[in-house]
Amino acid sequence: MTDHTVQAFDRELATLGRKIAEMGGLGEKMLADGIDALIRLDTDLARATVIMDKRLDALQREIEEMAVLIIARRQPVGIDLREIVAAMRISGDLERVGDLAKNIAKRAIALSSEQRLPRAMIGLRHMGELAALQLKDVLDAYAQRDVARADAVWLRDSEIDALEDSVFRDLLTFMMEDPRNISLCTQLLFCSKNVERVGDHSTNIAETVHYILTGEMLPVERPKGEEAAG
Amino acid sequence: MNEMLRADAVNDDAGRVKLAVRNLNFYYGSGKPSLKNINLSLLNHKVTAFIGPSGCGKSTLLRVLNRMYELYPNQRAEGEVLLDGQNILGPGQDLNLLRARVGMVFQKPTPFPMTIYENIAFGIRLYEKLPKSEMDGRVEKALRGAALWDEVKDKLDASGLSLSGGQQQRLCIARTVAIKPEVILFDEPCSALDPISTAKVEELIDEMSDSYTIAIVTHNMQQAARVSDKTAFMYLGELVEMDDTDKMFTSPAQQRTQDYITGRFG
Repeated sequence: MTDHTVQAFDRELATLGRKIAEMGGLGEKMLADGIDALIRLDTDLARATVIMDKRLDALQREIEEMAVLIIARRQPVGIDLREIVAAMRISGDLERVGDLAKNIAKRAIALSSEQRLPRAMIGLRHMGELAALQLKDVLDAYAQRDVARADAVWLRDSEIDALEDSVFRDLLTFMMEDPRNISLCTQLLFCSKNVERVGDHSTNIAETVHYILTGEMLPVERPKGEEAAG
Repeated sequence: MNEMLRADAVNDDAGRVKLAVRNLNFYYGSGKPSLKNINLSLLNHKVTAFIGPSGCGKSTLLRVLNRMYELYPNQRAEGEVLLDGQNILGPGQDLNLLRARVGMVFQKPTPFPMTIYENIAFGIRLYEKLPKSEMDGRVEKALRGAALWDEVKDKLDASGLSLSGGQQQRLCIARTVAIKPEVILFDEPCSALDPISTAKVEELIDEMSDSYTIAIVTHNMQQAARVSDKTAFMYLGELVEMDDTDKMFTSPAQQRTQDYITGRFG
């Protein structure tokens, strides 16, 4: 795209984009490490993940302040306005992704002394991988301005939802089998819910990317279940 | 694509069209046209803003809509401008009547060197003979219509030139309103005003759209975004894009519009 006549404006937008990219990288790492810490019950990794969230929160505040300043000083319109509104939205989603990953890491610490982990852990790991892939894909779509890729992420979220459903059933069975498992399984249920929410934030970001590039909102309702599988 | 857009600008909201410009070309003498095949419509009781870089033809277009250009020799327009379906560019058009129906407010406030009262009454007398009492009523109504009455009601005999710039501009708006136009053309009405006076004029334009069809030319894009329902972007004598203002300032269809409104031009 052609540069702005006022070059400082271009530099501000570039800085905003860089900060989003940094948040994205952090969010991805926190999610991967959080899941990893949970699966391997690795308390060191879990603590490191919790600490990482501080940087993510700080970045989100910086982005929000910067976006407000740009709006006040430049009165952006058209694509610029969409970019800035998108930066605010995406940074909000990424900040939440960080919170959810941090929460998984904290539960990993709480579970670290558990001896018998259920089979549902496999499903949970698979969910985590899918969510990480979705997040990576949507961040790439944002960086590369690729609307088709963003739309694909948006459509694919139902896979995570379906997996969550099966993990839920597994955990439920495990709890019914032996009530002593309830406390452990409750923790894992929260983890699975957290991963599912990360998926929702990825689809939010996909919607935002779609808006930046087309100026149009995706429909409120996503196609559910099998029709979206293809 | 461009043909489609032009057709849309004309056909959209048919039935509510107050003033339609059809296949308009304009020449400042011999040589290339300054307006090239313009097609667009001003909707009844809506505010339409014209934006574009200097020399794009937006003021020229405005000056065609009440044939102000005829004050100068060698300037000519081709095509049609339909006011309620009647072509005002036709030879039978009474120019005084046209300019009463299509009023104009200019860039710099131009009060006449007479009292505030006379500034308003003068214009009315050109078109109507009214007894004094009725004239008083009309002057008050016009000043109220221009949101100036409360500021000048105690000094109607003071010179129009004694008012501040913002007040002078509202006096000129009152003068335009006094002769009961149907369409009002604003040519950069706030470019000589401070922000507070500008806000007052913008508020006034908003209120006036209940009663008049309004076209405004402005260099200030935020002003266009604030006051108008429809925005038209012109470039090099052509209408590039015209659409709802909300759409034009968030996601315009044309790249040239995008580049201009976001400050990426040239």
